[in-house]
Amino acid sequence: MKKTKLGEFEELVLLTVAALQQDAYGVEIKRELESRLKEKLSVGSIQSALKRMEDKGFLTSQFGEATAKRGGKRKRIYATTSHGRKVLEEMKDIRTQLWSAIPKLAFELKAI
Amino acid sequence: MKPQALHPPKWPLKFLRFFLKEEYLEEIEGDMEEIFYENVERFSVRKAKRIYAWEIIKLLRPNLIRNFEFVNQLLQYSMLKNYFKVSVRGLLKSPVNSFINIFGLAAAIGFCIFFYAFVVYTYKRDQFHENKDVVFLSTFTASREGALRQYGLSPRPLGELLKQDFPQVTNICRVEDRNVIVKHGDNIFNERIRFVDPAFLDMFTFPLKWGVSASLSDVNSIVISEPMAEKYFGDENPIGQSLLVKFSAENGKEFKITGVANKFPSSRSFDFHFLINFENLRTAQPGFDLHDWSAFHQATFIQVAQPSDIKIIEAGMDKYKRTQNESVEKEWAIAAFQFEPLATAHIKTDEIREDVFREGTHSNITSIKFLTGVCILMMLLACFNYINIAISTSVKRLKELGVRKTIGATRKLVIVQFLSENIVVTFFAMIFGILLGWLVVIPWFEGLWHFSMEFSLNDPRLWVYLPIIMLITAIASGIYPAIYISRFQTVTILKGSVKFGQKNPITKIFLGFQLVLACMFITSAIVFTMNGDYLANRSWGYSNRDVIYTAVESESVFQQLNDVMQRNPKVLSISGSAQHIGKNHQTTILHFPDKEFEADRLSVGPTYFNTMGIELVSGRAFKDFEGSDRNAVIVNETMAKNLSWVNPIGQQFKIDSITYEVVGVAKDFHSYSFFSLLRPTFFTVADKNDFRFLALKVSREQEQSAFEDLKKAWATLYPEIPFNGGYQENVWGNYYEQMGIHGHVWRVFASVAVILAMLGLYGLVAINISGRVKEFSIRKILGANYKNITNNIFKQYYVLIIGSLFVSVPLSFIFIKSVLDFAYDYHMPVTIWVVMMAASLLIAVVIATVATQIIKVFKANPVEGLKTE
Repeated sequence: MKKTKLGEFEELVLLTVAALQQDAYGVEIKRELESRLKEKLSVGSIQSALKRMEDKGFLTSQFGEATAKRGGKRKRIYATTSHGRKVLEEMKDIRTQLWSAIPKLAFELKAI
Repeated sequence: MKPQALHPPKWPLKFLRFFLKEEYLEEIEGDMEEIFYENVERFSVRKAKRIYAWEIIKLLRPNLIRNFEFVNQLLQYSMLKNYFKVSVRGLLKSPVNSFINIFGLAAAIGFCIFFYAFVVYTYKRDQFHENKDVVFLSTFTASREGALRQYGLSPRPLGELLKQDFPQVTNICRVEDRNVIVKHGDNIFNERIRFVDPAFLDMFTFPLKWGVSASLSDVNSIVISEPMAEKYFGDENPIGQSLLVKFSAENGKEFKITGVANKFPSSRSFDFHFLINFENLRTAQPGFDLHDWSAFHQATFIQVAQPSDIKIIEAGMDKYKRTQNESVEKEWAIAAFQFEPLATAHIKTDEIREDVFREGTHSNITSIKFLTGVCILMMLLACFNYINIAISTSVKRLKELGVRKTIGATRKLVIVQFLSENIVVTFFAMIFGILLGWLVVIPWFEGLWHFSMEFSLNDPRLWVYLPIIMLITAIASGIYPAIYISRFQTVTILKGSVKFGQKNPITKIFLGFQLVLACMFITSAIVFTMNGDYLANRSWGYSNRDVIYTAVESESVFQQLNDVMQRNPKVLSISGSAQHIGKNHQTTILHFPDKEFEADRLSVGPTYFNTMGIELVSGRAFKDFEGSDRNAVIVNETMAKNLSWVNPIGQQFKIDSITYEVVGVAKDFHSYSFFSLLRPTFFTVADKNDFRFLALKVSREQEQSAFEDLKKAWATLYPEIPFNGGYQENVWGNYYEQMGIHGHVWRVFASVAVILAMLGLYGLVAINISGRVKEFSIRKILGANYKNITNNIFKQYYVLIIGSLFVSVPLSFIFIKSVLDFAYDYHMPVTIWVVMMAASLLIAVVIATVATQIIKVFKANPVEGLKTE
C-alpha cells in the first residue's frame, strides 16, 4: 500500500479513466469529473495528475483519432493498468473496512 | 462569425509551445483547442480567449514543463542557499560598506517610491468619475492676438439646443458661479455658489454622505460639500436645516439643505462648495437672458451615450457656429466648437482659458519630468557607490573565487553568484527604501505642499513596480562588478599575482561622475535658496508693504467707508477703483487701424497712482476725472514696448468704437506674482459709480492697526456683510511660501546627493587605506609627519577632484541656468560665482571626508598596523 501513493484527486481521475473506457481522453475526463464534482477544474490539474499516474504506472496511454475540432491534433486515450486497478480496489477495500468499523467503534465507545 | 475570430489567441499558444514538454504538446494543445471551441459556443469569443490564456498559465506545472538546460544549470537550490549565506556573511563582515550600499540604494528606492506615488496621484486626477469618458466640456477656439486659443466658455443657449437636436446627448449640465453671502445664524461668509442643472450629480460622481441627489431638481434645495457642512454646522447632520443665500444686498433666498457630499477624492480638478438649481439664476439675476447668443455660460457639460458619439456631434456643430458668429461682433467670432472629455480635461485645463476647472496637472507633469531626472540620478549615485565598493572589496574575495573556479564553477556561475548576492543586498535596501519612502519622503512632501497623495501600500501596481525597480537596480549595480571579477583566471588568482581594485580607472570615473552630480545638486540648492531671497526683495513695481484694500459692493458703501477712514490719522491716502492690482482686471481688446491687441484694463479713481505708489516714466497723470480725461489712458512700459511705440504719448486706439489717447506711461509693475509674465496693462479713469475697491496707503509700521480700524469700521457699518479685504502684500496668495518650498526641496535633494557621493568616497578611501595599513605604518616609523601622509593619501585624488571640477562647474552653470529659465519668468541673474560657491562647498566636504581617514591613520599605532595578518 505504502508504495502506491495515490492522492485523493489522483484517485478520482483514475476512477474516471476506468469508467470512461474508450472515451478517456483529457477533455472528456475533465468534463466528466466537473459534472460529478460540480466544480470547475483546470486542464493543468487534470493533465499533471494523468502524467504523474502514468509515471507511477497506474495508467497507460496511446494516441487516438484526430478530429477537426482539435485542429487536426490527435487525442491521447488513457487506460488503467492492472496495477492501477489493483490499487483502486485496495483503496476501496480499506475504505469499506473503515466504514464497517465505524458503528462498532461508536457502540463500544458508548458502552464505556 | 468572422473566420479569424475562430482561432485561439496566438501568444498564449506560443508560450505553451515554448514551455510544455515536447511529447505532451500535441495532446494538450488539442485538448485546449477543443475546450476553446466549446467555450466560444457557450460564451463570447473574448471570454473564451481569456479562459484559454488563463488555462495555459495554469498548465505551468513542474511535471509538465520541459527541462530547461540553462535553468537547471543556474538554479541549483543548494548552490543558491550557499550564495545567500555567503552574501549575508559578507554583509555582516564589513558593516560600514554594507551600510553605505544599503543606505544608498534605500535612499534611491525611497525616492523612486515617492516618484511612483506622485505619478499615480497626478494621473488618477478626476478618474473617479464613472462617466469620465462620456461627459464632455463644451469649449470653443477663437483667434486672439493672431493665435488660436481655446476657451472653456459656451454660448448660453447651446446646451439646451444640443439636447434637443442630438438624440445622442443624454444629459446636459450648465454651470454658473456667483459670489454670494451665505448666512446661517451667526455664521456669515462670502462664498462662491454653483448654479447647475439637476443632472450635475448624475453626470459627475460625487456620492452624497447624507441626503438624496435627486433633490437638486427642487429649486429650493441646496447641496453642500463636506467642508462647508463642517464650517456651518460642525459635526451634526445638517439635512433639513436652512441657509440664507444673499445674491446681492437686497436679493436673498432661503434654501433647504437636502444633500451633503462625501469628502472629495484629493486628486480632482473639479468640485463644488454649494450647488443650487440652475433656475435660481433668474432669481439671482432678474432679466438674465438664457437665449442670448452673445453671452456665455461659464461651462456647459454634455453627456453622450457612447464615447464615439461625440464625433457625430462635433460634425454637426457648424450651424451653431454660424448662429453664434452672427450674433456677436466680428472680433469675438469663434473658429470652432470642440469637446473635451472629462477624463483628460485635467491635462488640458491649463491651456484652456476661463474654464471652470481648478489648476490642472500641467505643472505636475512638468514636475514629473524633473523628478524622473532626479530619481535616475539618485539611482546612478547609489549604483556607482555599489559598483565602486564591490570592485574595491573584491580583492579580498579573490581567493574564494579561485577556489570556486577550481572546484568547477564556470564564469557564468560566478556572475550568477555575484548577481544573486546583489539581489540580497537590493532586497534589504528595498525594505528600508519602502519604509523610507512611505514614512519619510512622502509625508515630507505632502507636508510641504499641504495635500495628500493618498498613497497606500495596498496598490497592486506598486508591487509590480517595486520588484521591477529592485531587479533593475540589482542588475545595473551588479553586472559590471560581476563581469569584471569573474574575468580573472584561476591560476593567476591562486598564484597571487593579480593586483587590482585600487587602480581601476572605472572606479575613478564613477567617483568623478558622482562629484559632478553632487556639484549640480548643490548649485541648484544654493541658487533656489538665493533666488527665493532675491524675489522676496524684488520690487513689485509699486508699494505693496503699506497698502491695505477692501472690496466694496457699491459706490455708497465706498463713500461711507471713505468718510470714516478719511478721519483716521494713520491713513495717508485713499483711493477707489473699479479693478484692483493683484485682484482683478478687465481683459480688453484694443482696435488699431491695422490690428487688434489684447490688454489688461484697470479703471481707477483720482488718487490711485499716489496710493499704490505707481511711478510715471513719461507723460502726465490723469487730471480731469469728470471731463476731458475720460478718454485718456496711461499705459505701462510693457504695452508701449509690445506695440513698439517709439513715442507712446499721443497714440490713439479704439475700445468699443470710442477713441482713447495715451497721455502717460507708467513704470512696469507685477500684478500677479513673478510666476506670470508682465502683461500689457493700461489705466483709464473710473466713474465713481463703478468703484468696487477701496485702497488705503497708511503710515509705515501702522499697517496692522490701520487694518484693524478698517475692519472695525466695516463691522459697524455693515454687520450683515462679511469683510472682504486684506494686505496688499498678501494678494499673491502663497507665492512666497511656494518659493520657499522650491528652495527646501532642492536643499533636500542636494543633501541626499552629497551624502551619497560622500559615502561613496568615504568607502573608497577607507578601503584604499585599509589595504595600505602596513605601508603607512612603515612610513610613520620612518618619520613621516602629518603633511607627508596627507599628501600621500590625497595624491590619488588630486587629478580626480580637479578634473571633475573642470567638468562640473560649466555643466552646473548651464544646468541651473536652463532650469531657472524654464521654471521662472523672473529670476536672479545666474553668475559663475554661485557655481564656484557650490564647488568650494563640495571641495570642503570632500576634504572633510578624506580627513577623517587621515586622522584615523595618524592616530593608529604603527606597531599594531605592522602586526596585522
